[in-house]
Amino acid sequence: MATRSSTQGSPPPAVRPGPSSVSERTLAKPRRNWTPYLFIAPALIYLAIFLLVPLARGIQLSFTDTKLVNPGGGSFVGVDNYTQMLTSEQFWNSFLATVLYTVGTVVFAVLIGTALAVLINRPFRGRTVVRAILTFPYAMPTVAVALIFVWIYNQSSGALNRGIGVLGLGEVGWLTDPAYGMFSVVLATVWKVFPFVMLVVLASLQSVPEELFEATRIDGADGLSTFRAIVLPHIMPTVRIVALLMTIWSIRRFEIIYLLTGGGPVESTNTLVINIYRQAFSSQNLGLAATIGVLGLILSLSVTVFFLLVERRENKREASA
Amino acid sequence: MIRKIRKLPGRVALFLGLGLFTVFAAFPVYWMINTALSTDTELYKTGQGFWLKLSRLGDIPAKLAEVPIFSWIANSGIVAFGTTFLSLVLAVMAAYALSRFKFHGKGLAAFVLFATQMLPEALLVVPLFALFASFGLLNELHGLVLANTAFTMPVAIFILKSAIDKIPYEIEESARIDGCPRSGQLTMIILPLIVPSVAAAAVINFFDGWNEFLFANTFISDAAKWPASVGLASFVGQYATPLSSVMTAAFLFTIPAIVFFLIVQRQIVSGLTAGAVKG
Repeated sequence: MATRSSTQGSPPPAVRPGPSSVSERTLAKPRRNWTPYLFIAPALIYLAIFLLVPLARGIQLSFTDTKLVNPGGGSFVGVDNYTQMLTSEQFWNSFLATVLYTVGTVVFAVLIGTALAVLINRPFRGRTVVRAILTFPYAMPTVAVALIFVWIYNQSSGALNRGIGVLGLGEVGWLTDPAYGMFSVVLATVWKVFPFVMLVVLASLQSVPEELFEATRIDGADGLSTFRAIVLPHIMPTVRIVALLMTIWSIRRFEIIYLLTGGGPVESTNTLVINIYRQAFSSQNLGLAATIGVLGLILSLSVTVFFLLVERRENKREASA
Repeated sequence: MIRKIRKLPGRVALFLGLGLFTVFAAFPVYWMINTALSTDTELYKTGQGFWLKLSRLGDIPAKLAEVPIFSWIANSGIVAFGTTFLSLVLAVMAAYALSRFKFHGKGLAAFVLFATQMLPEALLVVPLFALFASFGLLNELHGLVLANTAFTMPVAIFILKSAIDKIPYEIEESARIDGCPRSGQLTMIILPLIVPSVAAAAVINFFDGWNEFLFANTFISDAAKWPASVGLASFVGQYATPLSSVMTAAFLFTIPAIVFFLIVQRQIVSGLTAGAVKG
């Protein structure tokens, strides 16, 4: 590579270094170029320091009994943390809470977001204003969302209980009754995240060719069958990927659950991520916290692989259709 | 004509649904303003009214004085600016490499970037806490900038890469023949062409830094250095909260996010789509 000349234009074939001709063919330029590595190195080194090293340290911690008071200490305990977690009822409750939270959030956010995208895709008076209002929740800082929802859910003076009081229903402890805690957290989360689904699906809808609509209209198709035959197949790939992102984000979502319930009432919203935090900073048990983190990460990875398999099957089906 | 009438009930149902969800989306925002314009006596004792008491707008300065919101917002601003700047510098270069070159390990690099979306901050916060403790970065706003950037930069890379992908290569080709170095092609030719995407990435990164809570809550124990997310969260679940003042402060903290989001909404949507769907 030292023979690389700085002259412009492609060198005559005779002076090309011979043996590396196979790799040469895969390169865009006829000569080996270090430039891309220089451009991407800072970002990758940065991620290595602030994500990969901590991740590796986290995995290592999961095999130790490290405590918060002495993060540098702690001795190797093999898979003890894993056996302890996988046999504890508390862990499986936490796992179940994560699944409930994720499924609830993803199903409602994707259904509502997609439906609203379809509705505001057609022109009507005031559409811009409606679309702006529908995107407010997404722009709102999570801490503000938590503050207002805690107040709306307030048992004696909150808007929700006063609203259902008008209907003759009694007070509900939305954030204090274990039967309602998960519902309340999912509702607040769906409120916050459905606009993301709506905006992304809307962008995908706007790329449906107008001629397709025209063609079916001439054929006399009504709204619903147009939707099923044209719109839905067009947006499905987008909806699937948004659902994947929503799922991954729900598994790792921390702030809104932490602020609304802190994992309560009676651990009913103690998702894996909340569990990590409590284990680390309340129980001060860094080893066990890291173990829950690794198990949570395995859950995210499994979901991703599952989605990618579905995606591949769908792509194959579409290709053969 | 007949078909139009037959469709009418369906159409009404659709718009009723749309109206219902618009109310669902708007109510908490409305209620936040309503709470901010109520008195604490009304909130806890006599009952909060449904309609806005706009005559109370004059009480806002007094309410804001009850909460150190301006110094918290200044801290949030420092964290957000730092995060945006660092994140964009790294992302512009990386996006350029990913868009304009073929190189060994490119697929791996792209995978690493996507995989960052899966890492829970709550897992990383534990080892990062230990790492930051040993480098004296706890209780420092620039420590938060460093931690946040690791999560915001990949998003910026997705957005910028797809923007650069759309620029025809011929534009740089002529500059290259004229002997313009790669760094010059990036700053003088490509960057001016992708300003809208850079703006979208900047807004998304800025408000990720502005809103960030977990790292700030864990790393910053000195109340004078709290960003607004942590400061406002300190009131959640407290008894005898000056609730109307806290809501006023929270609304003040919310306004910039909503305004900026609406201004660059179109770019953000195409940016998010690029990052989420094609990334």
